[in-house]
Amino acid sequence: MGYKYVGKGVPRVDAFEKITGMAKFVADMEVFAMLYGKFLRSPHAHARILSIDTKRAEKHPGVVAAITGQAFPYRMGLYVRDKMVLAKDKVRWAGEPVAAVAAESEESAEEAIELIDVKYEPLAPVFDVNEALKPGAPLLHEDLAQYEHSPVFTPVPGTNIANIFKIRKGDVEDGFKRARTIVENEFSMPQVSHGAMEPRACIAQYFQDGSTEVWTCAQSPFAVRYILSHALGMPLQKINVHVPHVGGGFGGKAGINFEPLAVLLSKFSGGRPVKLLLTREEEFTTAPLRQGFYASIKTGVDGDGKIIAEQMRYIYDAGAYADYGVNIGRAAGYSCTGPYEVPNIHCDSITAYTNHPYGTAYRGFGHLEFLWAIERQMDMVAHKIGVDPVEIRLRNALRPGSITATGEKLREDAGRVDQCIKAAAESIGWGKKEKQTCDGRLQGIGIAALWKAPAMPPNAASSAIIKFNEDGSANLSVGVTEIGQGTTTSLAQIAAEELSMSFEKIRVVPVRITDLTPYSWQTVASRNLFMEGRAVIAAARDAKEQILDMGAQALRVPKADLVLENEMVFPKGQPDKGIPLQQFAMGYTYPNGTAIGGPVIGRGGYVPRGLTYLDPETGQGFPALKWTFGAQAVKIEVDPETGEVKVLKVASAFDIGKAINPLLVRGQVYGGMLQSLSIGLMEGYVYNQAGVMLNSNFTDYKIARASDVPDEHVVTLIENPQSDGPYGARGIGELTMLSIPPAIAGAIFDATGVQMFKLPMTPESIWTTIKQQKPELLARKR
Amino acid sequence: MSKHTIHLTVNGIDRTVEVESNKTLLWVLRYNLALTGPKAACERGDCGLCTILMDDNPVKSCLILAVEADGHKITTIEGIAKDGVLSPVQRKFVEHGALQCGFCTPAAVLAAEALLKRNPSPTREEVVEAIEGVLCRCTGYRQIVDAILDAARMKT
Amino acid sequence: MLPKFDYIAPKTIEETFELLDKHGQDARLLAGGTDLIVSLRARERIPKAVIDIKAMKELHDLSFDEKRGLSIGAAVTLNRLLHYDATSKHFPVLCEAVSTIGDYEIRNRATLTGNICNASPAADSAPALLVLEAAVNVASRKGRRSIPVREFFAGVKKTVLARGEMVTSINVPTPPKGSRGGYLKARRTVGEDLAVVGVGGLVTPSSKSSKTVRLAYASVAPTPVRALEAEKIFERDKPLDELLDQAMPIVSKTISPITDVRGGKEYRTNLVEVLTRRLLQRLWEAN
Repeated sequence: MGYKYVGKGVPRVDAFEKITGMAKFVADMEVFAMLYGKFLRSPHAHARILSIDTKRAEKHPGVVAAITGQAFPYRMGLYVRDKMVLAKDKVRWAGEPVAAVAAESEESAEEAIELIDVKYEPLAPVFDVNEALKPGAPLLHEDLAQYEHSPVFTPVPGTNIANIFKIRKGDVEDGFKRARTIVENEFSMPQVSHGAMEPRACIAQYFQDGSTEVWTCAQSPFAVRYILSHALGMPLQKINVHVPHVGGGFGGKAGINFEPLAVLLSKFSGGRPVKLLLTREEEFTTAPLRQGFYASIKTGVDGDGKIIAEQMRYIYDAGAYADYGVNIGRAAGYSCTGPYEVPNIHCDSITAYTNHPYGTAYRGFGHLEFLWAIERQMDMVAHKIGVDPVEIRLRNALRPGSITATGEKLREDAGRVDQCIKAAAESIGWGKKEKQTCDGRLQGIGIAALWKAPAMPPNAASSAIIKFNEDGSANLSVGVTEIGQGTTTSLAQIAAEELSMSFEKIRVVPVRITDLTPYSWQTVASRNLFMEGRAVIAAARDAKEQILDMGAQALRVPKADLVLENEMVFPKGQPDKGIPLQQFAMGYTYPNGTAIGGPVIGRGGYVPRGLTYLDPETGQGFPALKWTFGAQAVKIEVDPETGEVKVLKVASAFDIGKAINPLLVRGQVYGGMLQSLSIGLMEGYVYNQAGVMLNSNFTDYKIARASDVPDEHVVTLIENPQSDGPYGARGIGELTMLSIPPAIAGAIFDATGVQMFKLPMTPESIWTTIKQQKPELLARKR
Repeated sequence: MSKHTIHLTVNGIDRTVEVESNKTLLWVLRYNLALTGPKAACERGDCGLCTILMDDNPVKSCLILAVEADGHKITTIEGIAKDGVLSPVQRKFVEHGALQCGFCTPAAVLAAEALLKRNPSPTREEVVEAIEGVLCRCTGYRQIVDAILDAARMKT
Repeated sequence: MLPKFDYIAPKTIEETFELLDKHGQDARLLAGGTDLIVSLRARERIPKAVIDIKAMKELHDLSFDEKRGLSIGAAVTLNRLLHYDATSKHFPVLCEAVSTIGDYEIRNRATLTGNICNASPAADSAPALLVLEAAVNVASRKGRRSIPVREFFAGVKKTVLARGEMVTSINVPTPPKGSRGGYLKARRTVGEDLAVVGVGGLVTPSSKSSKTVRLAYASVAPTPVRALEAEKIFERDKPLDELLDQAMPIVSKTISPITDVRGGKEYRTNLVEVLTRRLLQRLWEAN
């Protein structure tokens, strides 16, 4: 296929403003008469609020308003309405906002916060998910029965269960009876931070008639608008949400964060705009993070290592509030097997409350967590029965025609995980006996497979508008936000390709403003290139129809005989008899001055085809827009005496369908891999006994730096087209982050014979595990 | 708290600014001089996104009091491109896809500009050392390092 | 936001003494700011005055001669120190240690004096300065004195500096001929980090068959420490492995690693053993 723009690594459309520092993020913006907001955080993980006295704060110079949870005692939530803007009656995690002020300067606001007096009565906290699920555990939400919630999720009153998602397929009891070998293990990983470089920021202004203007770094402005509308009891039309440049999101900015608080502060400040900026410490202690995870898996295989039955219990530590956590539990549940065909499955995927900061969406949406467990389990089963880790995966891999955990039969064009596994294995040098040891360091290689579909409702929608300008250029307006992933550039390439226009003549509107921007459900789930892409194609074709309608009249040629190519409208075979596209942009004007038609505005929308809700008892149904498959392999070096690991090489393979912009795709692969490596080797919140975070800065919450990058990273992009994807494309954003930790653990096993069950695999954790499992590696050589 | 009148050159322009003693250079650049290129992302010297050049040396402006900048030459990202023409480093960043969300980009570019000025032909290790103090969560650093090495080749 | 304080940049050392005498504990000296500014923002200290030493020209002096060694003024930055020829030529252990502090940008501002005056138990420069037997030059209105770096640290983030005193420079004597020095630092990541454990060593051939060893540690005690008792073991004429077997238990008695957010006690104890052996093995073979 010889495309002019699709498939090319063109530089991103917003490069200039970003490279020159001109790009404005919320923190760089000012609104006239703006105040600064700051919140006070709870020092207790679980406590009753006995009283809050804001009098001293109110009197502090510069302070315009000081509010508590009493100011707005209404619960909000994406799926379960369990959270108030400010804690009222009770605090549920150490770091939860309990009061807030708005003042003339940041300094004044910071000082005023210290003047708020809060009296607490500490309650017994619960931090471990297994403890939280035991009868008699401290309850986070005593009124759970009264909370409104989406019908898709069912919180269990009287417990700390926000939701249980079930997969019941076949007959596991019978399956285990028939299995030759059964392996049972437990795995876990802690809560981790998104680590987006831009701390959360928003500005809000509340007008006296209840209309509201918000500027925020949100990934999903329409979700922000929707929730504010429900929370404030205002029609959607009265709320306008602006999103400028966003400095990284990774899901942390996918839902609603501090916008409601900023709106309230503005309301109580007489309608002055209020800017709320988080410090990095607040990003750690107070902004939402990734749920923690615990899994127990029981796998039964036949003599060849084919899985006959599998039983999983996944528990997501959602922290104090459910937020996206219930949907994450659901998504992990319906993908629970990993990219393998399992005929008999019993899976409970539970979202549980604990007195930790609460979790929200995070790249991978539950999949990084359960794939850590499932891929480790695959390796351990392989080892138990003496089958090679690549071989066991190939034997179980899903293929076109396979049935997934929810009973979906994979289409012919579903994508090929087996090809990905083979490609990654080949690139990493699997099976080649070149393992060396050097200065006591041991080398090993490991591999893990992955899959994910967008976790979204079956009716999630996207739309696009292509609006022409007088000079024949066009503005492309889409609801997907640019958070760094570059989707808007790919969409411009698609538009240029469809309209046969020069790429430089497509301007992607750089901001999202809900009043003007066409609707997009959310910028999450690796869905936007696919769905917005289809919407853009529809919009381009719609624009083309309008142009050709006018062209037919202007040229007095049947529409079916007309061609739009390289910005000319002409009869087939007669390019010299054409009219430039520009002359149709605002309607067509005949030489005598009469005009026909009108300004060309192409519009398109897309909803997924044939998706369904899932059965509440069995999880059966069709949740997946498309599945992206992949595999990642790593080669590492371990120093057993110190536990230090160096990742030498990574080989990644994804069945991406079509790389619309390979340069951007590489960026996703390199970035996602490192974010995942970072989580695997060095990340995790550390709390003291009282549930107070100990590592709330980048000195002690380590994330990967330039020197942590592996020397080599080989990337294979497999392009088996997705028939309904734009130009065959699927989605990649989250996928690149999956399965790196289990690949590293597999490599550690290959090098040392030691099995890791918990993340992060810090040097200390690896050394401790070696000491427990293979102390002979630490015996000094004489 | 003391107040000071400081004289400094910022992106080639002489500026006189009244500053309070407890305001950092980062704060004054952003709020007094409306230069929003340097970012406040941790304010304790961990992330490096406040990076500016002080007398051509890359430093973290969140750790410098504004009053300490009196008499010095400051370059922020806004001073790199000239009349809309990108520097070789900036051009290579764009070509290599070395920027995604753009939040760390000003810091990474300045660290690179300073590196190539003091070391026109760096090794890969030297490039990594130069940007070690700048955190990026989006790119995975590989394309940034490639871009800087390519810019070095271009200049020589 | 930083707390409110007065900023003064004295041009003479006498002016500085006056300010220090006046404010005592309510004044903090500012050199590179890479520790102080962080500490101010965290409200670990709320001084009335911040005294910037960088306007005093003599504190920027950096010089070397064979007899007196390396003289490093209080305002000399770590990068300036690292790029000074004499440092890499004569004091490789100091180079190795200092180059692990922070990152290039931090080292453009941070000073050696600041690193030891901050007196973190994890100060990377300290093990190098300890094995090199550096001296800290201190001045006040009452006069000048020189404190061996071994006696400079009083506790976690505490030095022996009295009211009215400031460090003007650090003097590092040229190590004995034939010495080999090095610094090993265990980190949580490949990327920049504070020391989970830091080991500095200097090995000097003292006769045809024996060597003298100086050993110092960071992050395993309330202050950086010299392992003086253990060092005596290495005076014996025995194979290195045997010497290490005898010395390590004595090192254990000198240090008191704790469990904190950066590392556990058992793991640190292990690292002390592993890194000491590796460092000395590296420094031993050569001659």
